[in-house]
Amino acid sequence: MSGYRVGIDVGGTFTDLICVTPEGRVLLDKTATTPEDQSVGVMNGLALLAQREGREVDEFCSLIEVLVHGTTTADNTMIEMDGAITGMLVTEGHRDEIEMRRVHKEQIWDPSYPAPAPIARRRARIPIPQRMDYLGEELLALDEAAVRCGVQRLKQLGVESIAVVFLFSFVDPSHELRAREIILEEYPEVAHISLSHEVMARGPEFERTSTTLVNAYTAPRITMYVEQLEQKLQSAGCTAPLLLMQATGGVMPPSYVSHRAVTLLGSGPTGGVIGAARAAAEAGVTEFVAIDMGGTSFDICLVRDGLPEVKADWNWRYRYYIGLPMVDIQCIGAGGGSIARVRQGTLLVGPESAGAQPGPACYGRGGTRPTVTDADAVLGYLRPTGFADGRMDLDLEAAREAIRTEVAGPLGVDLIAAAWGIERIVNANMAAATRKVLAGYGADARELSLIAYGGNGAVHAWAIAEELGVTRVLIPRAAPVFSALGLLIADYRVDLQLAHVSPIRLVDPAQLHRMLTDLSAEAVAELNPAQLNPDQIEIQLFVQMAYPGQNFDLSVPVPSAGETSEFLVELIERFHDQHLAERGFAFRENSPLLRGVRALVTGSTPHPPTLAESAGVKDLEGARTGYRPVHFGSGFVESPTFDGGLLGAGIRVTGPALIEERFTVIVIPPGWTAELLESSSFELSKD
Amino acid sequence: MNIDPKTLAAPRERKASTMAVDPVTSEVIRGEMETVCFEMAVFVSRTATTPILNQSNERNATILDASGRLAALSVGIPQFMLTSTLPVRFALDFLGPDEFRPGDVFVSNDPYHGGGHLPDYNVFAPIFATDSDGSSKMVLIASIQCHHGDTGGAVPGGYNVTANDVWGEGSRWPVVKVVDQGVERRDVLYAMAVNNRLPDHAGDLRAQIGAAQLAVRRLEDMILRHSAETVEASVDYMIDYASRRFREEVSAWPDGSYSAECFVDHDPLGNPDVRLACTITVAGEDLCIDFTGSDTRQELQAWSTYGNTRGYTVGQIAAMMDPDIPKNEGFFESIELIIPEGCVLNPVANRPVSAGTHHPGAEVGEVIALALQGVLPKRAVPQVYKTGIPTVIMGTDPHTGLQFTDHSAEVYAGWCNAAYGMDAWGCQAAAFGNLWKATAEINESLYPHIQWARDYRTDSGGAGEWRGLCGSHYIKEVRVDARVYTYVVGMKYPMPGIAGGHSGEPNKLVLRDGDADEVVVAHTADWIPLQAGQRIRYDYGGGGGWGDPLNRDPQAVLDDVLDEYVSHEAAESEYGVVLTGSLDDLSLALDLAQTTALRTELRAKRADSAQSDSAQSDSAQTDSAQIDGAQ
Repeated sequence: MSGYRVGIDVGGTFTDLICVTPEGRVLLDKTATTPEDQSVGVMNGLALLAQREGREVDEFCSLIEVLVHGTTTADNTMIEMDGAITGMLVTEGHRDEIEMRRVHKEQIWDPSYPAPAPIARRRARIPIPQRMDYLGEELLALDEAAVRCGVQRLKQLGVESIAVVFLFSFVDPSHELRAREIILEEYPEVAHISLSHEVMARGPEFERTSTTLVNAYTAPRITMYVEQLEQKLQSAGCTAPLLLMQATGGVMPPSYVSHRAVTLLGSGPTGGVIGAARAAAEAGVTEFVAIDMGGTSFDICLVRDGLPEVKADWNWRYRYYIGLPMVDIQCIGAGGGSIARVRQGTLLVGPESAGAQPGPACYGRGGTRPTVTDADAVLGYLRPTGFADGRMDLDLEAAREAIRTEVAGPLGVDLIAAAWGIERIVNANMAAATRKVLAGYGADARELSLIAYGGNGAVHAWAIAEELGVTRVLIPRAAPVFSALGLLIADYRVDLQLAHVSPIRLVDPAQLHRMLTDLSAEAVAELNPAQLNPDQIEIQLFVQMAYPGQNFDLSVPVPSAGETSEFLVELIERFHDQHLAERGFAFRENSPLLRGVRALVTGSTPHPPTLAESAGVKDLEGARTGYRPVHFGSGFVESPTFDGGLLGAGIRVTGPALIEERFTVIVIPPGWTAELLESSSFELSKD
Repeated sequence: MNIDPKTLAAPRERKASTMAVDPVTSEVIRGEMETVCFEMAVFVSRTATTPILNQSNERNATILDASGRLAALSVGIPQFMLTSTLPVRFALDFLGPDEFRPGDVFVSNDPYHGGGHLPDYNVFAPIFATDSDGSSKMVLIASIQCHHGDTGGAVPGGYNVTANDVWGEGSRWPVVKVVDQGVERRDVLYAMAVNNRLPDHAGDLRAQIGAAQLAVRRLEDMILRHSAETVEASVDYMIDYASRRFREEVSAWPDGSYSAECFVDHDPLGNPDVRLACTITVAGEDLCIDFTGSDTRQELQAWSTYGNTRGYTVGQIAAMMDPDIPKNEGFFESIELIIPEGCVLNPVANRPVSAGTHHPGAEVGEVIALALQGVLPKRAVPQVYKTGIPTVIMGTDPHTGLQFTDHSAEVYAGWCNAAYGMDAWGCQAAAFGNLWKATAEINESLYPHIQWARDYRTDSGGAGEWRGLCGSHYIKEVRVDARVYTYVVGMKYPMPGIAGGHSGEPNKLVLRDGDADEVVVAHTADWIPLQAGQRIRYDYGGGGGWGDPLNRDPQAVLDDVLDEYVSHEAAESEYGVVLTGSLDDLSLALDLAQTTALRTELRAKRADSAQSDSAQSDSAQTDSAQIDGAQ
């Protein structure tokens, strides 16, 4: 039997919904996010979908086959810094790693830039005498009495969640494991324990400390939220498995995720990138930049060879380092709500945002400061009436007034020049941020396509493309709810590492083989709850290697692990080659270090057949709804508007034109043409 | 050859014709140039072949206009980025613009031709635009400067702290063309490789060359999109804008002359009390910084070149202004700088500079912050370090049988001052925030050492209304016999408190710690041997506090005691805060009545002693009066 497949992505303002019906139709919708308890909004969304299917809620819920969820619970916990009261047991002498941050500070010109809010204050970081060396040799036995005292002290401090971080625990975890036993004896009701080697099985210690602390800090809240949601779903009659989107780009059941809470950071935007990869593949595009422009933030992700870049290093989230592989999505404060202001004669836009409340001036909710959306409205991009699926009319005069007062006046230019100035600055900021991401990978924008989504992506895509020199842009029709769509496309994904540090020439190939086999079995076991067929499971094994002295490991793929020394020789060659290809050089005379093994196991899920609701009209005139003047940089041009919902595949729209969709508008400037592809994306190309 | 650094530093002509540019376009172009700087830095990290370049993040990317005026910068250490323009100007002056052709790349590292010290290799390349008539003109110059691990010369590592002159410190390259119109000069690069101990020196240079060439391609594209005239006009606009913002900041400062002095404990030879003197004059929107009175003893071993002093000066001033002001030539043009030749901040040619780049270089920031603390107390946060030189440990790796050299470049906290409204945090001043230093797990995997501790040292941060950062209590054990080479400062003159804050605790380095033959390093350690199992203890100095500690919120003091940044005893003696109960059982509590009484008593005592001292030092009185007024 097949039922409904539902993807629900909770964002800051909206909870986005996508549903594939048993007949293969695709429903898209949005409902308001309920920040107090996100599960309320999720249930509202299910009710909305049930209504559109003409079913009672519990009937609909009972017919759900799978429900995939992207949640901002972990992100919100880190934004608000209101996670569990967290304490830490740490190797004596190394109590302050988390404050020292390897010297890194975000603002080098501002001595008053404040410290990040602490997760565990110094008093709750208890030094424990114990020590392993880098080969796992015990230099100092675990002081069990100190652990007991420490736990009692943490209890006295009201600590709910405990992180344990001992040096080189990833080489020999016995002290951390014993510490957990003692914690449970002394404090059985503790809400959560994170052992550093289980959260991040490698060095160096700052990265592991930071990751483990974030995990301990967010885990209790995520566990609680997921339990609440499961309960609500059950009482609504839903028996389908609940899956959660992880930052790695894969989904996993709550049982897995609740111990690895930190993998839920960036859950939503990751869904968007996975969706983008699918939309791109259907349009035959494999090399692109995904850009997601919402109300407050602009997310960027490079995708090459159809796969999003997954980065294992330099993942900073909310001022903490996350040392786990994450889809590399960079974010800047630029969106529809970004506020424009003039300072000493220079126009600045963002990162400050008007948010949902009061929102842009043109929303008429009391906002008086000019935003990007106000400039969009004044320049004619946005539909003045029936905005946001007919839910509101824009107050254009309020937008004009805000821009006139705060930008045009101080700059001494007219209203339109001011509005266009706001566009140029925000577009340039987004383009610069995109270029910066590409720089990190040595990629050239002009060789890539752009895939734009999010509420404002379709409005600004052309201008960002012009800035970057990109001539091909894809805008999926599902763009406004794209992150939810991605959820339904993501596969199961388990990514485990095991550290083992040794010069490669001292490695016993049989032992290496055993480590790879054991780790892959462990990863496959994590997929048991998904009840997949063996043919749905794909296992990729890697050996982690580096030159002596390097900070960053390479994951060298191992198609099949041999047990002979020839295998090691081949592995070393492959490491040098990969180092040359990825980092531009190789020290062939140097013997690399083995740093560990890694198993990446994916389980494929059925994918929805089409990406959006289809429409039939091939006749452009029949879809035209009128004309309005639009400013693309050199005066207003009378531009036709079309109802996107009426357009069918294959249709071509020549700029200047606006295609109005339910939750966004696709802006096509002069010199560009849009074609609606079979795969339900608009392809914009520059003539 | 004697090159007058003041001529190099003098204001240079703007390139743009009178064409006006709108602020939006110039902002867009500035953003693009900063992104290109970032790209250069990332390129070096990805491709460099030695850890000092690909891991420490010590790479400084800038873009100059065709006159050699700083147009943009982004990633790096502010002082070094700001120092890196003068070598380019020397090349422009010496070779003349005609010697700059499309496809050229140059290298320079010489302290007496605009540079700071020999390890800093500057690689730069011109960017050209083609006019409609087919002629081409230079528009910009991209520059990437990196600190290399060796410079040739007498001692490995680039720091010869007993050199008599700059020749003793290594090979000097005032300017050499390493790529000539796109063709690599193999002869030159080979000569440079031969003059360096590190086999990967050439690889690192190539990484920098590649970065500069990447910037050339990016900036050529940018010029094509906007036109050369627009780019030139934008550079001028942004420089004028920075100048304007700078002058507006200065005009808000009270007019007057403000002086301070500070000292480096000693040079590496042990010559004591190296003096820096500074008088800063504010007149309307004009700012003059005058280092007259700084040490002129010619026998000193460590000197800061004019260019180095200039970079540190602007680095400190920039940290005292709105961080949003774009960093470019506008800063240099807005400061009148007086550094008498022959003083320790502007040596006569060829004095040794390898250690001097750091000390007295770093203290330039300190003396400026001290001079301005009376008028700008809220911005007076010295962007300073008291490193001396790295603690170099040398020995033989038991696994490989090869010699290892550990620069002890791992993380430790030190010398980070509090700011108005904010306790100091992290481990170094903000200016060094782009560094990314190694950890115990990295260090111990590379070298036969055990790092037993590097925690904050209780009470080492200077007391104040806002607290200075504690320094690390750093203990490293060698597991094999080894030797130590280093130079230590900040023992006699620790980080100063600001606006009535107390100074941080001093540095202290002990070799063979706890053993009968332990050595407390007085100024240098010249290859002192350690036996396997012996320990190095480096108690790094704390940062200075900001403001009167008796004004600190008592609740914050209680929190500090609970967190062991401050001891129970120091809470009373330094902050006048009386706590009851004990830390051991977490029963600590504030006694507010007793605190008020104790603080009143301490203030009265202080007034008494100030009265009896006033005959000797009325300047201190004036200072504190100014500070009170400014608050």
